[in-house]
Amino acid sequence: MQWITLFQKEMLENWRNKKWIWFPLVIILMAIMDPISNYYLPQIIEATGGLPEGTNIELPDYTPSEVIMMSLGQISSLGVLVIVLISMGTIAGERKSGVSELILVKPVAYRNYITAKWAALIVLVWGALFIGLLASWYYVTILYGSLAFGSLLLVVLFYGLWLTLVVTVSIFYNTLFKSVGVVGFLSVLTIMLMSLVTKIFGRFLNWSPIHLSDHIFDMLMMEQISTELIATAIITLAITIILLTGSIFIFKSKEMAN
Amino acid sequence: MQEVFENINWAVIAPFIIIQGILLIVALIDWAKADRFNGPKWMWFFIIIFVNIMGPILYFIFGRSKH
Amino acid sequence: MTLLTVSNLTKVYDKKAAVDHVSFTFQKGKCIALIGPNGAGKTTILRTLSGILTPTTGSVTFADNEKNEDIRKWIGYLPQYPVFYSWMTGKEFLVYAAKLAYTPKAEAEKRAVELLKKVGIEEAGDQHISKYSGGMKQRLGIAQATIHKPKLLLLDEPVSSLDPIGRREVLTLMEELKQEMTILFSTHILGDADEVSDELLLLHQGKIVESGTMAELRKKYQTAKIELEFQHDSIPYQAKVNAMASIESSYVDQNMLHVNAIDITQARQDILHVASAENWPLTSFSLNRASLEDMFMKVVKR
Repeated sequence: MQWITLFQKEMLENWRNKKWIWFPLVIILMAIMDPISNYYLPQIIEATGGLPEGTNIELPDYTPSEVIMMSLGQISSLGVLVIVLISMGTIAGERKSGVSELILVKPVAYRNYITAKWAALIVLVWGALFIGLLASWYYVTILYGSLAFGSLLLVVLFYGLWLTLVVTVSIFYNTLFKSVGVVGFLSVLTIMLMSLVTKIFGRFLNWSPIHLSDHIFDMLMMEQISTELIATAIITLAITIILLTGSIFIFKSKEMAN
Repeated sequence: MQEVFENINWAVIAPFIIIQGILLIVALIDWAKADRFNGPKWMWFFIIIFVNIMGPILYFIFGRSKH
Repeated sequence: MTLLTVSNLTKVYDKKAAVDHVSFTFQKGKCIALIGPNGAGKTTILRTLSGILTPTTGSVTFADNEKNEDIRKWIGYLPQYPVFYSWMTGKEFLVYAAKLAYTPKAEAEKRAVELLKKVGIEEAGDQHISKYSGGMKQRLGIAQATIHKPKLLLLDEPVSSLDPIGRREVLTLMEELKQEMTILFSTHILGDADEVSDELLLLHQGKIVESGTMAELRKKYQTAKIELEFQHDSIPYQAKVNAMASIESSYVDQNMLHVNAIDITQARQDILHVASAENWPLTSFSLNRASLEDMFMKVVKR
């Protein structure tokens, strides 16, 4: 099947350029940075002698849920940036270099070309997210207290939807522009604008994908999945599907050479 | 300082250091094999080695040139 | 048998027509050369036929395509500067290209090995493309364009970037491929066109200014020139030559007499007749065949 051929090529490329090694490792580092540093913060402050004698250091005792959310916080900022960086050239780069001219003169269905690239990125991102949060969960368990593994899987499931949207935004701009830099810039800008708009009109945009992590935190605290979380997840999924379908239509209507 | 090192639970810190180590080694292997770079080859060597944590990541994202 | 009909193909860039109402038909199994200077619209025509560009107006129709299928499966295309996935090996790229064109895996592998051999890079098949030279990439480019057995092979300047040996080999390869498929290739080197093509399309400023077989064009544009060389000064003979009805004019260049004929066959007869009767001290007599370059200049100036 043509889709499988395209998908396998993407997977092989991501293996050969070592994305499958470094990207998950980077996500693991981001996920475990805060759990470790917060645990050792008192000792670090003491060792550096940053505080005057007699000051009573009162550091909050974090709950396991709060620490998992710290990991998500790192992935939301740095992690999203890295995801944009690894995805911004997936189509734009091929068009810019000219290799797409050899590929797309073959009878390649554009929906296959785009969705295979999308799926390969999704597998990479979800894989990295899973092992990153697994590492975070390991530290949470030994340093802060227990957290049900089922809860962790739910965090991966719901937060994965947000990262899926990030990948899709990047794919969308990939079909619009040939310049890799423009794709990266507009993807980051779009995500920042989404976040800004949600902050300003937050009250009316309770189901904005930006709120996913807030709802995930509530889920961990309440130990139940709220309707808001489900609704937000559905909205996120819907925007993803619309953007992906839009990407295919844009790509079809475009001349491959331009 | 001595005390801090004694207090540190190496079972906690070790994975963190190992992951950084793997990143560094994989980046160096790739660096040694790659033909084309964005910028001088040696500059990337120093970035990989000396820029803490971020060095190998910067190399993987920006260091190599495809065409 | 007609393979392809192009009618009124026009491609406009920035209000300027790069290709201007071009119409032609291809017969199956022919090798057609698209000739013209840089900027004449050769690449634009090839890219439009390959489907990379969409025509502004006009159409490209395959004769056998009643079901209106995706024409890309019958087309093989080699751009002037092909770019590959440099992290793949040559063989991997060929197999990938074949599979994209719905060739089953086993068949794709078999064809890849055969074609690597055919284009002469079999020992480099397992090397990464990043290590390939320009000539090797050009050969791999031809292999990937033909791996799915297309009916129409489009080659953009396939030999112009190669050294003389590579050029020779690729031209021979094109002769071979001609047996299996119709070839349309562009070139600005007229000698290459002369060598392998059955038909020529002369392109100038986006328009087809002349077309036909080599022989037809030769006949049509043959410059009626005769050169006479004498043992000594040719001036004494000029008046006699000019007096002939078949001769238009002539000019003297030391021992040479350059003659422009009205009717080349008659002129040859007249001159040789007088020359032998009067025993002219001729050292050479030559009918100048029109070079393709002369022909092209003539067509364009018209």
